Amino acid sequence: MENITGVYANETDCREVQIPNEIFFTIAMVSLGENLLVVVAVIRNKNLHSPMYCFICSLALFNTISSLSKTWENIMLVFTNTGHLNSRGDSVLKVDDVMDSLLCMSFIGSIFSFLAIAVDRYVTIFHALRYHNIMTMKRAKAILSAIWAFCGCTGVVMVVFFHNVAIMMCFIILFVFALVLILFLYVHMFLLARHHARKIASLPGSTKHHNLRGALTLTILFGVFIACWSPFFLHLLIIMVCPQNPYCECYRSLFQIHVILLMSHAVIDPAIYAFRSAELRSTFRKMFLCSDSRLCH
Amino acid sequence: MKTKQCSAEVFASFGQAAEINCSSKPEFQRSRQLICSSFLVQKSPGIEMPKFQNSSKPGSGPHYVWEYEYYDDDEPVSFDNLTAHRYSVVIGFWVGLALFVIFMFFVLTLLTKTGPPHQENQDAFDRHCRPSSCMVDFRHPQASDNKACSQPLLDESHSLIHCFIHEEETGRTGEGQGQWREAKQCACSGLQQAQAKCKVERDTSFPTHCNIPNFVNSEYSSALGDDDLLLCDQPVPLDSNSLSSNNYHRTM
Repeated sequence: MENITGVYANETDCREVQIPNEIFFTIAMVSLGENLLVVVAVIRNKNLHSPMYCFICSLALFNTISSLSKTWENIMLVFTNTGHLNSRGDSVLKVDDVMDSLLCMSFIGSIFSFLAIAVDRYVTIFHALRYHNIMTMKRAKAILSAIWAFCGCTGVVMVVFFHNVAIMMCFIILFVFALVLILFLYVHMFLLARHHARKIASLPGSTKHHNLRGALTLTILFGVFIACWSPFFLHLLIIMVCPQNPYCECYRSLFQIHVILLMSHAVIDPAIYAFRSAELRSTFRKMFLCSDSRLCH
Repeated sequence: MKTKQCSAEVFASFGQAAEINCSSKPEFQRSRQLICSSFLVQKSPGIEMPKFQNSSKPGSGPHYVWEYEYYDDDEPVSFDNLTAHRYSVVIGFWVGLALFVIFMFFVLTLLTKTGPPHQENQDAFDRHCRPSSCMVDFRHPQASDNKACSQPLLDESHSLIHCFIHEEETGRTGEGQGQWREAKQCACSGLQQAQAKCKVERDTSFPTHCNIPNFVNSEYSSALGDDDLLLCDQPVPLDSNSLSSNNYHRTM
């Protein structure tokens, strides 16, 4: 046995980096808590029944689903490792398929929700007076139904036809397209905001400060999106492009870290999108602190 | 590309006395399909270990079961002739990503310092379409003659009506000043819309500073982070700059 390990356990091998299950659990729980909070707040507060908050709620729902399925997978892995579950049983594999398709669905859904939020903000800014005609609640609901139906089907298709290279390429192209479109929309909005600031000629100092804040906000928003999503997609690309290359092999060994990044994006999302709204924050305050009615005013 | 499933435990448990199973049957593990295409590098067909194939006696100690996984291309990944560091793809990817984000930040900051590309159009518009004789009475926003200056454009007046109705629906109980500001913004936008019809193209040189009335700001821009991106929620009034700077001070 030692001879064989001497041959195979080479020092230059890239062993898969294992992340303990506790970290997966923690991140999944935190993400679940935050996103459920956002969903409940949007549903309970009538003021938040507008297209913008519907899209934010949809994003939070997709993140909730991904956290739930990750938690479920963790639990099943724990049971498998302790021997209570047969990792090759048919029912276990079916459940695993369901979880994978839920994960795929929530990932694609997150991307589409980001896109919907960006488009909604774009329409808000560039077609402000016609916003209520363009983005009615009916249309928002139709858009959301279409997104959910498409993501559900795509999740199932991706898991069933996973070995098909074309499907994975579609997934990656979709991601790149969404990235470019989101970048374009936000940069255009930023240009308008900066143009705005130039109209306020009286305070050049604070104008510059606010412009820097705008640039920082945009960079954070986009940077976090890229940093959390692209390692995973590069992994998919590398599987297809260079499965035998040792360098690619070492990149693939970090798969669990990339999944952690994806999950942590579900944790950061509410902070970037939902918690910045004053109305949502006041809804949270009312939900938590309103045991005593004096605190609500 | 074939995707046979394998067990990550194979990879991790080399050297341990444990049951090593790597069969062609699928197995449940963490997101199995995405990692398993690679971790059979340790097993290449053609290398035989007959001694370890079976332990025939049950309960006689560790039980090794070898099965072979086959890929379309049979060459194992060799780590022997690496010229660069083995994590160079990883490092290169993250360094590239960081550089891209920093570059984007610098581009955005630079954009704040240079002039906007459509500044000249905006100035041209201001020169051409400045209303000289058409002033709106801001103190009485509900008065119908406020619309006298604008051309009878049905969609713009609809927008104005929607603007005012929305103000009441959201039940904003701000001060009188606040409502006055809102109404002024609605009227200003309507007026500017009317002016836009007269000569200038609507899209490029539209006075976008009036294109973001407060009703949008109050409800939607807070989702953008308390005016991080929308830096001006004030109208540029037709009369003086001091009024706009006043309002800017009040809200910032």
